[in-house]
Amino acid sequence: MSTGRLLPLELVDKCIGSSIWVLMKDTNTELTGTLKGFDDFVNMVLEDVTEIRITDGERKEVKLDSVLLNGNNVAILVPGGAPEE
Amino acid sequence: MSELTKEEPPAAPAAPPPTSVTPSTYLKSILGRPILVRLHTGVTYRGILACLDGYMNIAMEQTEEYGVGGELESRYGDVFLRGNNVAFISGDTKAK
Repeated sequence: MSTGRLLPLELVDKCIGSSIWVLMKDTNTELTGTLKGFDDFVNMVLEDVTEIRITDGERKEVKLDSVLLNGNNVAILVPGGAPEE
Repeated sequence: MSELTKEEPPAAPAAPPPTSVTPSTYLKSILGRPILVRLHTGVTYRGILACLDGYMNIAMEQTEEYGVGGELESRYGDVFLRGNNVAFISGDTKAK
């Protein structure tokens, strides 16, 4: 238990292979999918992705097989994926 | 059946996920393939990925531009997209 602390990117690393929910900075965009990998910038490769865009209160979903997500506008990562509606 | 098999190998000690696909390996895998590029503005470009770099600058061929609503806006032969605009790149399985 000496290594009680978990580095932030170690937490992301633990999410590889499982579902993750990505909230983007200052845009009304979210993505959920299976995290396949990431790099030091937290650019992420996701599979079986659902992109959710909310414009004018209208919710639009787009399904994509695989995505390389630019880490630049990522705000929050939630392990386990998006909550059920 | 199960009695015949040798004892299970011990569970791999916290093995790293064998199927980790890093961004750079993903990019190599979609080179020359149909892709979909979404910008932060919501505009979408579909085309063939000619080349790209670590900034996500992208050169595309046979490019189609789709507006935020998804309607086809225009077509270009070759397109250079500066990487700072790119929200994500997707291997475009639905492309012809």
